[in-house]
Amino acid sequence: MDRSIGQADGDRHDRQKRIEWVDMDRIRSVRVLVVGAGALGNEAVKNLVLSGFRRIDVIDMDTVDMSNLSRCLFFSADDRGLSKSVLVAERAGTLDPKADVRAIEGGVQELDSWDYDIVLGCLDNIAARLHVNSHCCFYRIPYVDGGTDGMRGKVQTVLPGGPCLQCAMNRSHVREAERRFSCTGGGTVYVPRMASDITTTAVIAAMQVREAMKIASGHPELCISNISYYDGTLCDSFTVAADIDPGCPNHTG
Amino acid sequence: MPIKITVRNVSNGATIRMEVEPTDKVCDIIDSAADFWSKDAGAYVLKKGKKLLRGSDTVAEINLVTDDVLEMIPDPEGGCRWDFPALC
Repeated sequence: MDRSIGQADGDRHDRQKRIEWVDMDRIRSVRVLVVGAGALGNEAVKNLVLSGFRRIDVIDMDTVDMSNLSRCLFFSADDRGLSKSVLVAERAGTLDPKADVRAIEGGVQELDSWDYDIVLGCLDNIAARLHVNSHCCFYRIPYVDGGTDGMRGKVQTVLPGGPCLQCAMNRSHVREAERRFSCTGGGTVYVPRMASDITTTAVIAAMQVREAMKIASGHPELCISNISYYDGTLCDSFTVAADIDPGCPNHTG
Repeated sequence: MPIKITVRNVSNGATIRMEVEPTDKVCDIIDSAADFWSKDAGAYVLKKGKKLLRGSDTVAEINLVTDDVLEMIPDPEGGCRWDFPALC
């Protein structure tokens, strides 16, 4: 790298460019969809913008409440009742004036266009994950799913043609998804108040964005194969491989 | 002929010994282990070494043998609050 000290310090992404496999041109040009603007979504969008991603859509139908504030850097107490996706888009955009962060207010099931290069799942229930997963499989969009529960978390990277979220699920996931449905609650999923803290959220969101950087830079071979589990109490993590399930509807036809 | 295996709970390190049949499925093992530990309802997966086991596979299909150790992992779901239309 043949640049003067002055040039290097004037370049917002100089240090990142020093990572061998990072391709900033591609990172700047890919279109990313972040599904969910809660705890993981806040962290993921912040990391995306600071990493140089410039074309980001963030979708959420929810509004801010006080319990979000311990984990969401883009929200404040004055924001109660305001749209999460709008706030994240507005405030993340200030981190880099060249970043185009757009809010989509609504449910992901209402999303018409899946014209994205990468999708990050920052969700909290199996049904919504399966919806995003199936669309990403159909449109062959790399999908990086994150999940947390207290001090534990996981990241699963789904590349086109590879094992997907549904391939890695079993009867216990179906049972859990069914348990969440509330036919009397206005057609919504009941989501219990799960343990959650910002340190685990930050780790998982960082891993998701790092996966997005690899994919955007043209290095999917560096991605997690296929699921990484993180234990924040022990600061331990491990990765497991998954196979395509021949019975998975996302891999038939 | 039953196969005696060990299931280890990665949440707390606890282990149980189980006898399984070749026709038993991976999800049966998950259910039994969750029942034994009286775990709250939730999603779990089993891994053997560095491989995630498919819930629909049988003990015979994954070549389990006596003294194999499987690890049961809770599958975290959280991230944000999200409403989704009911399918029912």
